[in-house]
Amino acid sequence: MAHAPPKHDYHIVDPSPWPVLTSLGLFTLALGGVAYMKGLFGIAEGNILTILPGLLIIVLVCTAWWSDTIKESRAGDHTPVVQLSLKYGMILFIASEVMFFVGWFWSFFEMVIFHEFRATGMDIALHENLAAWSNWPPMQNDGHQVQTFDPFHLPLINTLILLLSGTTVTWAHHALQQGDYKEAKTGLFITVLLGAFFSALQVLEYMEAGFSFDGSLYGSAFFMATGFHGAHVVIGTIFLAVCLFRLLAKNMTAEKHLGFEFAAWYWHFVDVVWLFLFAFVYVAPHIILGGGGGHH
Amino acid sequence: MTTEPTIKREAVADHHDGSHNDHPSVWNPMRWLNSTNHKDIGLMYLFFAMFAGIIGFGLSGMIRMELMEPGVQYFDGSSWWGDQHNFNVVTTMHGLTMIFFMVMPALIGGFGNYFVPIMIGAPDMAMPRMNNISFWLMPFSFALALISMFVPGVSEASKGFGGGWVLYPPLSTSGHPGSSMDLLILSLHIAGISSILGAVNFIVTILNMRAPGMTIHKMPLFAWALLITAFLLVLALPVLAAALTMLLTDRNFGSQFFDPAGGGDPIMFQHLFWFFGHPEVYIMILPGFGIISHIISTFSKKPVFGYLAMAYAMAAIGFIGFIVWAHHMYTVGMGVELKAYFVAATMVIAVPTGVKIFSWIATMWGGSIEFKVPMLWAIGFVFLFTVGGVTGVMLANAGVDHMLHDTYYVVAHFHYVLSLGAVFTLFAGWYYWFEKMFGFKYNAPLAGLHFWLMFIGTNMIFFPQHFLGLNGMPRRYVDYPDAFAFWNKISTFGYFVTMVAMIVFFVGLILSMIARKKGQANPWGEYATTLEWTLSSPPPFHQFNELPVVKKTDHH
Amino acid sequence: MRLHGLKLGAAMAGALMVGAGAAFANEPSPMAIGPQPAASKAAEQVTFFHDYVMVIITLITIFVTILLGIVVVKYNAKANPTPAKFSHNTMIEVIWTIAPVLILFAIAILSFPLLFTQDVEPTREKLESGEYAELTADDWITIKTYGRQWYWSYFIDKENADGEVETVEFDARMIPDADIPSVPGARRNLSTDYALVIPQGKYIRLNLAASDVIHAWAMPAFRLKTDAVPGRLNQLWFKAEKLGVYYGQCSELCGRDHSFMPIEMRIVPQDQYDRWLELAANDIDEAQAYIDEVAPRPVSPVQVASAQ
Ligand code: HEA
Ligand code: HEA
Ligand code: CUA
Ligand SMILES: [Cu+2]
Repeated sequence: MAHAPPKHDYHIVDPSPWPVLTSLGLFTLALGGVAYMKGLFGIAEGNILTILPGLLIIVLVCTAWWSDTIKESRAGDHTPVVQLSLKYGMILFIASEVMFFVGWFWSFFEMVIFHEFRATGMDIALHENLAAWSNWPPMQNDGHQVQTFDPFHLPLINTLILLLSGTTVTWAHHALQQGDYKEAKTGLFITVLLGAFFSALQVLEYMEAGFSFDGSLYGSAFFMATGFHGAHVVIGTIFLAVCLFRLLAKNMTAEKHLGFEFAAWYWHFVDVVWLFLFAFVYVAPHIILGGGGGHH
Repeated sequence: MTTEPTIKREAVADHHDGSHNDHPSVWNPMRWLNSTNHKDIGLMYLFFAMFAGIIGFGLSGMIRMELMEPGVQYFDGSSWWGDQHNFNVVTTMHGLTMIFFMVMPALIGGFGNYFVPIMIGAPDMAMPRMNNISFWLMPFSFALALISMFVPGVSEASKGFGGGWVLYPPLSTSGHPGSSMDLLILSLHIAGISSILGAVNFIVTILNMRAPGMTIHKMPLFAWALLITAFLLVLALPVLAAALTMLLTDRNFGSQFFDPAGGGDPIMFQHLFWFFGHPEVYIMILPGFGIISHIISTFSKKPVFGYLAMAYAMAAIGFIGFIVWAHHMYTVGMGVELKAYFVAATMVIAVPTGVKIFSWIATMWGGSIEFKVPMLWAIGFVFLFTVGGVTGVMLANAGVDHMLHDTYYVVAHFHYVLSLGAVFTLFAGWYYWFEKMFGFKYNAPLAGLHFWLMFIGTNMIFFPQHFLGLNGMPRRYVDYPDAFAFWNKISTFGYFVTMVAMIVFFVGLILSMIARKKGQANPWGEYATTLEWTLSSPPPFHQFNELPVVKKTDHH
Repeated sequence: MRLHGLKLGAAMAGALMVGAGAAFANEPSPMAIGPQPAASKAAEQVTFFHDYVMVIITLITIFVTILLGIVVVKYNAKANPTPAKFSHNTMIEVIWTIAPVLILFAIAILSFPLLFTQDVEPTREKLESGEYAELTADDWITIKTYGRQWYWSYFIDKENADGEVETVEFDARMIPDADIPSVPGARRNLSTDYALVIPQGKYIRLNLAASDVIHAWAMPAFRLKTDAVPGRLNQLWFKAEKLGVYYGQCSELCGRDHSFMPIEMRIVPQDQYDRWLELAANDIDEAQAYIDEVAPRPVSPVQVASAQ
């Protein structure tokens, strides 16, 4: 039975194999990950290659999925009302990401704010490890004091970089809306560069850290929060880079460039998270609790 | 620059002409694997939930068999049942299965997917392809959870994770070094991704795809319920994801969030978990609230009483649900002022919930009630949920929760709101929409029998558990002091009755499939006012090719 | 291991006998539908509060049931063929919002004082106000306990003859089912090889921690339950008022033998306690033998035919 074309602007999507294949990919990745971490079904632990099949499936399938989306967008399926849906969707996705970071901040606050209670409120004789928390900055498990970063060194530079990139992405956006593709490309290019620069400096900072992820709770909380942020920076940079390529390939218009808008929103979100990280993870403990011979 | 391309809107018509005409046969696996149709996806969710429900029911049977008599009967290490550790594994998997793979997929994924778009007059969900991944992640996630039961847990020989559905460290970190806990963590990560994506889809659909004239204050209460549920999911699940990730890195990469040896704190996990966990319990009941409103209104032949209050009561429950989490943690050593706050906040939830209970009764008041099967479940629900809710208020008071925490009183409380609450709404919805979804009638005599047997059986299982808890029986016990024997035996007998109820359910289902009595578009009459009753049964593959228009005078 | 039935009759008769005995035994009782008898004033307050809330929530449930009953009888399709049309009534909605608020206030008014009594140790101010007239600083004993997989370790400070403080330390493990018949009065799943002995009349401050995973020290007769958490020192207090044997069980899932790490506590007169502590400092077996002699477990109200 044939349908009349729909008399509405919603997008009735064709059946697609990508969702079930992505699910399969995640399943494979999970099994591979456990095989790597613990060994599974006779596969010995410690072989990072076990996560490759899952990753491969996910990357391939997602590429296919997103290129389908772009194709549909080019075919005109993304009517104004559909665009609005996608926008709501992106906002909600970012909202869920915010709650994800709430988890990291929660653990960081708990650790910083309550560390004194931990040290004094408990029976230290029975928990000599907790003595590590009796002064700030905290102690590594190996007995060395954690060397926290001087917030007004690399972290400050990184803050400036991200703030600047926030402005360049807005510049690109405005240019694109005006139909000035050249400026848009320039602005976006600079944004991507700044994003990459941020990541590079972050790597540098990590390499110089006087503490480690598995060395102390401080290290765990620090690297988890800044690490997940870093991962988001990388994803955001890739997202922006894809937009740049699409701009270069004349695949985006002044009228319709949802992908770009989403990348920009995402970027601003990453930016704001950093400001919180900077304020609470780097600066506040430094000022309130005393720098403790900050690094650099 | 004028060389940039512009998009041609005309392309749409061409594009749509060819591609949607095919409705593959139900026997074509591609129809299901590749589906972008909300009704097909809804059905897949329902059958998945049914499958998980059978497993969860079976696991609860293992619990009840073991507890029928004092002493270790089955989990004594001499058979495939395993030893006491495996009892904990079974309890854990029972809880996780029922929550994540039965109730949530059925009420949210199943009924939500099937009926929310129709009720708001939309042709499908906003993001149909994403809808499909929300579903397909679930079986894979469940597979991981099931596999976890059979790989090393505490040790090479001791398989599976037996630390309770709440996954408290250090039992879930140093207590279970084997791969089973890692599989379980990733399983829940994936289930969480599924739920977040699904929730985003619901919110977008409801906010953006309501038919002309369907203002938010005309929207059916089931859609309201799903909207609020979806917000809870989007805000609560990522926090669980963060906590799970910390567990994973604590286990595998040397971080020390929950490890006191490094200054970490196991209690921090509990805070993060319950910040998710408490909203989660409302996630499981709010969709049911929505279903019950429709059923009561339909069979009382009256509009819902206090529609707006009903909607905003759910919103209030959802909101308050975020600020009461530590009532699960009264015994962890919190400060007394903090406890006092959580006592007060928790009790407040009784007020909006009371508004719902009384409004349902007021809807029936003055009505002309027909006791069709869905209505039996609905009335049963109102009564049983009240019983479960008021024991929640008892538990909310830290002073007495110190005695009752981690006893069977708590088990009784939450089964009254879940197994006799959420599950009753699930069966209510099942019978209410059966004919609509499948196009034929359910077997009414057996459906009625199913209700009565289940009502008797589940009450018999769980009512005595209040007594056990009050008298001090701790939960998650494979064996108990002999004095608890009597009520445990009654409880297990109740399980047998419930088992008969389940058999009746499935026999009724099969008989109805054989009989295939042709269904009507609207079997319930003029008081079934929501849009699904304006469509054929089952509805066309793509409904509302032309959007319905809701008039100002129509009521919700 | 299978158990061959349960002699309920004997069990109930036994329960009656306990009441007649000298010592106060607190343990689960067959077919009980309520809390174990309260062993302290604070526990009595909990019982009172529970009963109070119980009355309220029972009335609420009955009220809802009656309303449902009326609806079913009066407003079924036969009795009332034409449905009413109303769907609003502001007055009634306000009432059913306010009334629960008032009920909750009525609950809270007793709930908060109870909570503070339980959680805040009786202080000198309270002493002066006469509320805890018998309290002096010396009346406190601090005991430390560690939850471990799957037993409890107790640490009690004791001053020796030279005024030095030494710690008496022992582990309490469940008596295995096989040994139950040979230990007089032992309760299956409840009795431990060594009991925690407490002097009557003292205020006990129990410090709790754990060395592996979380456990919880629970003592239903006193309405006490506090988690023993690794890396954290929790605290609870109670007053040892009545002589007797008390049982509790680990109440936080802690792994394989979670069901099998019970708590047995005996409250004895001060002189017996002193003697017990003296003995325990050297040989816990001797101390236990002594306490079994002077303060034996009552004959078990529940005896299972055979533990094999
Ligand atoms: C659907 C799921 C669901 C629902 C709806 C609820 C509803 C409530 N729950 Fe429950 N709860 C659980 C699922 C649920 N719970 C689960 C799974 C656990 C255990 C988790 C675990 O440890 O494994 C738990 C545990 C739990 C605890 C912790 C117990 C412990 O571990 O020590 C507490 C304590 O406050 C609590 C309280 C409440 C309260 C106050 C409500 C309220 O929302 C109830 C409100 C309803 C009513 C009160 C009835 C109707 C109202 C009226 C008729 C009006 C008049 C009434 C009054 C004035 C009182 N619940
Ligand atoms: C929704 C949640 C849910 C449901 C429905 C149930 C249902 C049941 N539960 Fe359970 N239970 C939990 C959630 C649930 N439970 C949780 C969270 C725990 C705590 C775990 C922990 O401690 O970590 C627990 C723990 C728990 C215990 C305590 C174990 C212990 O402490 O050691 C016991 C003991 O009797 C028990 C028994 C039962 C029984 C007999 C049933 C049922 O058999 C009652 C009858 C129910 C049914 C028959 C429903 C079957 C449904 C279907 C077949 C689906 C149909 C689908 C469609 C129509 C689409 N459960
Ligand atoms: Cu120790 Cu449970
Ligand atoms: Cu809760």
